[in-house]
Amino acid sequence: MRVLSSFVSSLLLSGATIVSAASSWSFEDATVSVSSKGAGVGAGPKDKLSPSTPLAKSVSLGVSDTLKLLLTIVDGKTAKRPHQAFLTLTDPITGLEESLVLNVKESGKGKVDVSQKDLPHQFLTSSKPIAASIVIGSFGSSTPYKSKVFDLQVSRDPNVPLTIPEAPLRYAAEPEIRHIFRADPQSPPKMITIVFAAAVVAALPVLFGVWATLGANVGHLSKALGDAPVSHALFYGSILAMEGIFFMYYTSWNLFQTLPAAGLVGVVAFLSGSRALTEVQERRLAGLR
Amino acid sequence: MRWAFSSALVLVWTAVVAAKSFSGNRLLVVLEEQGEREKYSVFLEDLTSRGYTTTVESPKADKLSLFRHGERAYDHVLLLPAKSKGLGPALTANNILEFLKKEGNIIIALSSESGTPTAVQSALLELDISIPADKGAVVVDHFNYDATSASEKHDVLLLELPGAIRSSIKNYFGGDGYIAVPRAVGQVLGNESPLLAPVLRAPSTAYSYNPKDEAEAVEDPFAVGKQLNLISTMQANNAARLTVVGSAELLQNKWFSESAKLAGKTIKTANREFAHKLSAWTFKETGVLKVGKIIHYQDEGKSKKMNTSTAVPENNPGIYRVKTDVHFQVEISEYSNDHLIPFTPASTDNIQLEFSMLSPFQRLNLSPIAQTANATIFGVAFKTPDQHGIFNFRINYRRPFLTNIDEKRQVTVRHFAHDEWPRSWQISGAWVWIGGIWVTVAGWLAFVALWLWSKPAERSVKKTQ
Repeated sequence: MRVLSSFVSSLLLSGATIVSAASSWSFEDATVSVSSKGAGVGAGPKDKLSPSTPLAKSVSLGVSDTLKLLLTIVDGKTAKRPHQAFLTLTDPITGLEESLVLNVKESGKGKVDVSQKDLPHQFLTSSKPIAASIVIGSFGSSTPYKSKVFDLQVSRDPNVPLTIPEAPLRYAAEPEIRHIFRADPQSPPKMITIVFAAAVVAALPVLFGVWATLGANVGHLSKALGDAPVSHALFYGSILAMEGIFFMYYTSWNLFQTLPAAGLVGVVAFLSGSRALTEVQERRLAGLR
Repeated sequence: MRWAFSSALVLVWTAVVAAKSFSGNRLLVVLEEQGEREKYSVFLEDLTSRGYTTTVESPKADKLSLFRHGERAYDHVLLLPAKSKGLGPALTANNILEFLKKEGNIIIALSSESGTPTAVQSALLELDISIPADKGAVVVDHFNYDATSASEKHDVLLLELPGAIRSSIKNYFGGDGYIAVPRAVGQVLGNESPLLAPVLRAPSTAYSYNPKDEAEAVEDPFAVGKQLNLISTMQANNAARLTVVGSAELLQNKWFSESAKLAGKTIKTANREFAHKLSAWTFKETGVLKVGKIIHYQDEGKSKKMNTSTAVPENNPGIYRVKTDVHFQVEISEYSNDHLIPFTPASTDNIQLEFSMLSPFQRLNLSPIAQTANATIFGVAFKTPDQHGIFNFRINYRRPFLTNIDEKRQVTVRHFAHDEWPRSWQISGAWVWIGGIWVTVAGWLAFVALWLWSKPAERSVKKTQ
């Protein structure tokens, strides 16, 4: 007895049906047919359903089609009306369920019509076929029945847009955002830079060469130093120092270090420069320039 | 002296308040007939032993009020079903919602045998929880019923303790065993609100119907299958919790450890354990998060250890430069029954840090980097975006069954200072221009020397003229 009962319960749990048990719910003469709009009643293909094995091929439901399920519900052998007779559709991926109530008469004859407008939008967009199972149960001791009977393949017209409501807010981790940084500034290839920099640097010897061919010299240096040694040395030295100050400003000094130094050197250049240039003027007046 | 006084105060406080709840220990039990109290005695004793001071009142009692001087008079309310249609002036729908607004927690137990008072019904409707309008509606399942007590009516459901509703949500109600749910009123939760969460869903073959309908077959059930909830919860934005228990009988002594028969095999119900978990969650003994210290600092190559002592202030910098490496750490604990433990989120869940100015520039998953005795330290390293402005380090962690975390630390992100850019000689493209400048300088010095000291060329040509 115990073995039998555990056997029965294991059968129940596995979703199989027990036809042999004295009092258990099941169905007979079940047909599922799909008829498209405009076609006559019973025009579409008709498939017989068995309570023990699901239909091998899946039932296809088009946009304007209506699926009609007809069956006779039996308790043991006698046709009877149960309290619960549902056609339950289950999305195999999300587990979403929708139960349609079968309209059952006193005689146990039940029917349900399903068209696409009866289905929630998740079923219409499901990529896998939807499992359709029949659930029959009622009060008392009769074993209830639940088993998958067929797969429903919902085919949609891709040209007809489907209004899918926006998914409601649920608290969950949101997708990560990683900031995309602006690209770093680019320099041209170093080879090109070096070629042009070399051209610029090469201009200096060219300039000196041209000056030399035009007769440039520093022949009066000893004369100038002899006439006004301090002022010439200071004047040229201050010009050199000014360039040195610019160099320091470029590399490390700030403006407040640069300005006093530049002012000091500037005064020296002004004072010594006026003397040095007087000497130059004397040379010019002497016809030496 | 002051220290001694305050420590004495703490001692007194711990002695008096032995409550395990995070939010308080004053519990009001609303029960219409005092005779019914016996039926719930084990559940109420369990609550008392967990440190709650229970006050049992009839809804009709004169002095009953949820508020005193405009504040909550109780921290938690357990509302057991009443026979009468109204609940009296103290427990109107408005008062129930006001109680939630003041962070009070409520368990509402319904029963299909006594109708649901209109105050409760409209309060639930306000929260987007709908229950059948007609009195006597009951959830039945011809597959998972107790064959001992409900072999005919199938209205005592035997269900396994619930699992997590999503893999990213922690389950506070799970375990082994079966719960008996006798004569439950099913609830349907609105789809829009993220604050609602089901605890116990009906099995897929269950449905809710009204036995008073004479119809022999169910034609238009209130709700069917998993859309029908037997126990549902709502956690408001202020973390006030409300639990709707579809079956008050679930909390009664009778079902706490009853033998039941499910599909031929005898099982023991685990209602007592489940009732404990349910009340512990609702009254904030579990699922309460607490944020400790939040620190952030500029990464200078060495990682800093968080000083979790409350005596040391957070002492975070208030300004960062764009594109600097920053480390962020936060300490999160979870309150579990009577103490704080390190918080671990569900396996597929992540706590996220947003570095945002109006909208998040970075949203990063935090990973646990260390654990103290009662907190987990979560951290992440990232680079500040190349945009200056006023930014927030923000953690907004909201999950079903957990209290909300919303923490912000504001910092300024400044642009590069003039001396933080790379020097011109480091930029290869500038070499041509730098070369030009120094060539000019050299040329100028040479020109000055020539101009000062150049000796005129031989005038021999001129002389001949």
